[in-house]
Amino acid sequence: MNNKLVYVCDGGDCNEKGSGNLFTKLKVHFDEVDPHEKRIKIRRYPCFGGCEQGINITIWPDKVFYSLVKESDLPDIITHLEGESAPVTRLTGKVRPDVEEFLWQMLDSPY
Amino acid sequence: MSTVDLESKIPNNVGLRDNKRLMRALERWQPAFIEWWKDMGPTDFNEHDVYLRTAVGVGKGGWAHFDYVKMPDYRWGIFLADGDPLRKIHFGDNIGDKIWDEVPGEFRNRLRRLIVTQGDTEPASVEQQRMLAHTAPSLADMRSLFQVNVEEGRHLWAMVYLLHSYFGADGRDEADAMLERHSGDPDSPRILEAFNEPIDTWLDFFCFTTFTDRDGKYQLAALAESAFDPLARSTQFMLNEEAYHMQTGENGIGRILHRTAELLKEGTDPKSVGAMPMDLIQKYLNFWVTRSMDLFGGEDSTNAAESFASGLKGRYREGDGIYKDPKALNVNYKLEVPEGMKMVEREVPLRRAMNALLLDAYVADCTRIVNRWNRDLEALEVEERVYLPSKRFNRNQGVYADAFFNPQGELISQEEFVKHEESWLPTHVDRDYVKSCMVVVREPGRYANWIAPHHQGVNETPLDFEYVKFH
Repeated sequence: MNNKLVYVCDGGDCNEKGSGNLFTKLKVHFDEVDPHEKRIKIRRYPCFGGCEQGINITIWPDKVFYSLVKESDLPDIITHLEGESAPVTRLTGKVRPDVEEFLWQMLDSPY
Repeated sequence: MSTVDLESKIPNNVGLRDNKRLMRALERWQPAFIEWWKDMGPTDFNEHDVYLRTAVGVGKGGWAHFDYVKMPDYRWGIFLADGDPLRKIHFGDNIGDKIWDEVPGEFRNRLRRLIVTQGDTEPASVEQQRMLAHTAPSLADMRSLFQVNVEEGRHLWAMVYLLHSYFGADGRDEADAMLERHSGDPDSPRILEAFNEPIDTWLDFFCFTTFTDRDGKYQLAALAESAFDPLARSTQFMLNEEAYHMQTGENGIGRILHRTAELLKEGTDPKSVGAMPMDLIQKYLNFWVTRSMDLFGGEDSTNAAESFASGLKGRYREGDGIYKDPKALNVNYKLEVPEGMKMVEREVPLRRAMNALLLDAYVADCTRIVNRWNRDLEALEVEERVYLPSKRFNRNQGVYADAFFNPQGELISQEEFVKHEESWLPTHVDRDYVKSCMVVVREPGRYANWIAPHHQGVNETPLDFEYVKFH
């Protein structure tokens, strides 16, 4: 498993849809399997701007942008994060391309 | 996880009961703070019950409690995010060293200046907004204003705790001075100029919370990476509360734009019904965005380089590991600067460009917000859009301050700037018009005509909830 940075959107809309709960569940899971964050970091992110398609979760550097995520999707996302499956395609490609590209540009810092 | 003491005179999770000397010092400061709140906080509303969120802990299971409270009785507490015992310095020259639980002597003055400058903005914004509740466009907005105000007060407590705990007599003097300086006071003004003018309309308030508080977010986020652990943990927790403040602004401007778009769609001139024309909103955005950008400081700064090198202030989300080199060495930042009437590229050692990098992250965040507003305008099927002015436009700090640019960032002459200034920035006439629109609405669930209602109430309350009870 490579180092992955997982951002769970904590913006107003995603939060109202329960992103805090998803964050906690992912955090609890990976605190157990990777307590020192050697492979996976789970972080909140203020807002990606894909509010209409929330809850949004992104994975960098893989550039996977999951949208319309529900609690029932977490097992599949965890399996993907643990390197045991490909990205969950039913949750990708939902936000406008410019919203997605905007985030990757920010994270792909030249520095 | 830290123990939260809510029974203490000053709620805290920093073990005040075990440090009698510090507790006594802070308890001596507390009455002065309450007096300051009564004298300089929101006018005429101290006797009313307000439905407010109060921080009560730092755990994952919820950190806040909602209830009615009279603002002077608000439980301003001191909370630090839980620490990581394994945390090491993760950027700058001292990567891998243990983080500091005490202030290293060589960084004492620099750290104190950072904390005092940050701390001074917190009461300053409360003072700037003290008259606003008299013209609140709804009870829900009035509540939001008070929420922002009491939490800025709590952020002052967070900084005062650090000054009292780690900076001895100097720190105590600085804490006292926080209550002695006042926004706009000609003899004893607030430190940063942007905090010395009153915010007397709600359009200004929503712009302030969207853009100026967002500068605060980026400064706090940079300090949240600090090697000085009490500062890092203090600012991490403040960011929880700050998120609501920015959301208040972002949604507020969004609701103003929404209302204006509704009027335009039905063919009504917004000005004919006391609402905000689109070009006027754009002027306010231009003003507040550029004023807020000035707070980031010079793009090329040896001060910023030293703060980064020593581990006092990191880049935005440094700890997430998104940067290639945590030492930021041997790389240059490319900066386009004016030279006469042309732009030339200048390379600045990356460490000296830390303010510019932080500003870039801020601009990206602001672009996301403007895009969101425009998506709403698009959905409402109006042609008008708003834009984010260039970081070169209307600057009073940094490399663009001595030249003239249009809002798109093109270098222009002073004559050209003067010719268009009134169409880019608010005039006295604009400001008078906005003031004339400010009428108070106190009936639960009702809104002034220039702003659309909230989508939903705070803490799952209905929109006609009685957020403020007048007696």
